[in-house]
Amino acid sequence: MSQTLPNPTKHVPKLVLPIERFELSCGAILLVSPRPSAPVCAVYAHIRGGPAFDEKGFEGSAYLVGALADQGTQKRTEDEIANVLEPAGGEIAGDAGGLAGTIVNEEWELLLELMCEQLVTPTYPRIHFDRQKRRLLDRLRVEKDDPRTQGGLLFRKLVYGDHWLGRAAYGTIESVGEIGPAQLRAHHAKNWVAKRAVIAVCGDVDPKKVARTLDKLLARFEPGTAIVTSVPKFPQRETRVGVFAAERQQVHVHLGHLGITRNEPDYAALVVMDHVLGTGPGFTNRIARKLRDEQGLAYTVSANIHGSAGILPGLFSAYIGTSPEHVAQALRGFVQEIRLIQRELVATDELDTAKDYLIGSFPLGFERASRRASYMTSVELHRFPADNLERLLAQFAAVTREDVRRVAQKHLHPEASCAAASGPLKKRDLERALAKAVAT
Amino acid sequence: MNPAIRKSGRTATKAGAKIEERTLENGMKVLLVERHFDPVVAVMLWYKVGARNENEREAGVSHFLEHMMFKGSKHFGKGAIDLVTTQLGGSNNAFTSSDHTAYWFELASDRWEKALEIEADRMRGLLLDPTEYEAEKKVVLEELSMGLDDPWRNVTELVQTALFPRHPYRRPVIGYPDTLKGLSVEHMRDYYARFYHPGNATLVICGDIDSNEAFASVQRHFGSIPRGAEYAVADCWRPNATEPLGEQRVSMTWPDDGKRLCIAWPSAKVGSKEDYALDLVSMLLSGGRMSRLHRRVVLEEGLAVSVSTQNDARVDDGAFWVFGECSLGTAPAKLESAIDAEFARLRDELVPLKELDRAKRMLAAGEAYASETVSDLAEEIGEFATDAHWRLALETIDKIRRTDADFVRETARRLLTPNRRVVGWSTPRTENARKKRSLGKKSTRKRA
Repeated sequence: MSQTLPNPTKHVPKLVLPIERFELSCGAILLVSPRPSAPVCAVYAHIRGGPAFDEKGFEGSAYLVGALADQGTQKRTEDEIANVLEPAGGEIAGDAGGLAGTIVNEEWELLLELMCEQLVTPTYPRIHFDRQKRRLLDRLRVEKDDPRTQGGLLFRKLVYGDHWLGRAAYGTIESVGEIGPAQLRAHHAKNWVAKRAVIAVCGDVDPKKVARTLDKLLARFEPGTAIVTSVPKFPQRETRVGVFAAERQQVHVHLGHLGITRNEPDYAALVVMDHVLGTGPGFTNRIARKLRDEQGLAYTVSANIHGSAGILPGLFSAYIGTSPEHVAQALRGFVQEIRLIQRELVATDELDTAKDYLIGSFPLGFERASRRASYMTSVELHRFPADNLERLLAQFAAVTREDVRRVAQKHLHPEASCAAASGPLKKRDLERALAKAVAT
Repeated sequence: MNPAIRKSGRTATKAGAKIEERTLENGMKVLLVERHFDPVVAVMLWYKVGARNENEREAGVSHFLEHMMFKGSKHFGKGAIDLVTTQLGGSNNAFTSSDHTAYWFELASDRWEKALEIEADRMRGLLLDPTEYEAEKKVVLEELSMGLDDPWRNVTELVQTALFPRHPYRRPVIGYPDTLKGLSVEHMRDYYARFYHPGNATLVICGDIDSNEAFASVQRHFGSIPRGAEYAVADCWRPNATEPLGEQRVSMTWPDDGKRLCIAWPSAKVGSKEDYALDLVSMLLSGGRMSRLHRRVVLEEGLAVSVSTQNDARVDDGAFWVFGECSLGTAPAKLESAIDAEFARLRDELVPLKELDRAKRMLAAGEAYASETVSDLAEEIGEFATDAHWRLALETIDKIRRTDADFVRETARRLLTPNRRVVGWSTPRTENARKKRSLGKKSTRKRA
């Protein structure tokens, strides 16, 4: 199907982001974006699935499989890895989503070699595993009293319920306590397979040479099976309230509900709406202008639905960190602004500002090699077309005032929102403040 | 010499960029950094003013003024700077430190000159409207409250206060609730007049520019602004640094299970020989998993969840920091003792050449990251230019390469001794409560 796309209204410098796509012999997908003169080379090795494949009672396994992949491989010990990687300015970090690495550009082949070893043959030696597990457990025990962390987790739990999105990817004190090296090896063998891998490389490199190199390095990568997804189940959309009480100066308040997936047809209009409502830079968004600039309620305040959109639904979340006596006023402000954007058409100049920013700021975000690698991964995971960037800019340009009101009405639900607060606040005070805010 | 750097007179090259220094007649220094990787330009205007220039009663005024720089000037009314930047698809921000305040724009290369128009306008015509001033004060106080909820920030400030007994570095950049509440808009207006003028500013324009055209534009926008008061006249009085009389220990409690250690020594000036030696010390101690402290206290002995060090050289003597988070089953004294032992080793033994070479290579590799984007490059060059001299951005790696093991040991012996340091602990509140019912009370005691 062909489609005529409207052009962006104003000239913007064109972003050149060439991507070459390969299917490696092992079955993994490789994307390479050559960037002449780049001082840094970045590599992402994404494994589809992540915490979704944590077994019940062992939540955190997917995270540890990635985080501890650098503790030793069949070829090298942890020390041997560090001894060659660190002096070359290299770094590899892992988590539930796979591995991410950077290095000074001229050493890109070394980075690929080490990442492939960690991808295919990590060993999870018992002694290193026990040490890292102890560190993680200590961190979790300290975090259990941290209002900022607990407030965010509480909000996710209220919205996502028992789905894995409702918990921390790194697990809980109880679940991590149950995990041993055997769980990690089993999880790795089953899930870190070529057919679930997307590798993205950006740097001053020759794409075909990268493909040849990886074909050799990944010769032992088990093909495995492609990921099978199921329809996720989430709690019904309704008001739910939770408080994590702690004696601090500020209260962290999250208000919101289930959001959208990245393939949502209204995505571009929602990005524009977000910029008018709660993410536009500085005081160009309504919520920062009203709650921070006019009322002085906070240093940090925002609202956003598009930022967390992924293969699974993200969150619509309005956030403020404020003094306890300002919580009711802040909630009222959130609800009023959401309702206003649902009720009235945004002003033409507001719409134009948001669109101009979104269209004009695109070249600025792609200077870092790591940003390009992350973007390429996203293109593959969401099956975006090759001309996605141009297409997206054209979609932003085409958004109308009516579109913004329509998507706000369709996707924002202040009357059925979850509210989580952490800090010096009582649950009944939050319930009362939310009820009042929604009733006015 | 690093082959990536060539110097001649007032020009040089670094990381694919051509750097040229020029000066306006009114004294404003302009650094034109031409690099054409992407159609992007970073504009950073640096003022040599920060918490270091504040007296006790005006603590926090530099940072508060930075907020007010977005609240309206003669031709860019309240909110207009953000609005214009956004309409141009750009970004802006600002930050304040002990030694400087910087304003940053990143814009596409066909529209970056708008940043000059904005900066020139607010350099000479900031409104400082009293209503906006009072409204923004509330925001700054909320920002301060946010910091008060951070245990690391609290223990660091406690140590810093003891580390600089009389120097303004003792105070947090954001100030205190009472100094902020006590400030008047007239006071801020005077402070602005003293420090915000071309003679106290360095402008860095970095990215896809033509240097000659860029400088012509700078002249058009800033050329007619008067130079302003001499720095020495505008500045506050500061005592000279004094040698510590002995180790100091400070402590506080926090309502979680964390045991957080912060140790600091008064250290060195930006660009001094000791600054480079301390860069190496920091890398040797906590740069990567083979580093001495990380290896010992995190990996081998399991005493800490994390450990890091920081060489925080400043215009006046700065600080060398160690931060460590104790493992929950470890007694704080045990972690401290292990860290002590590693500092003693630095003072007593020469660092083996292989280990020193590894640290030097890691610092050199860091250069690639420090210049990946035009904003990274602009920040590195601007910070050196404001605090010392921009050429240090070109020379640092060479100077580090020339630093030998003898000088590293000598620096450690001279600066990193137990009797010069401040040791701060934040420990769980419940443990302390058993000993004394002074929840949240900060205590300071000196040990000769």
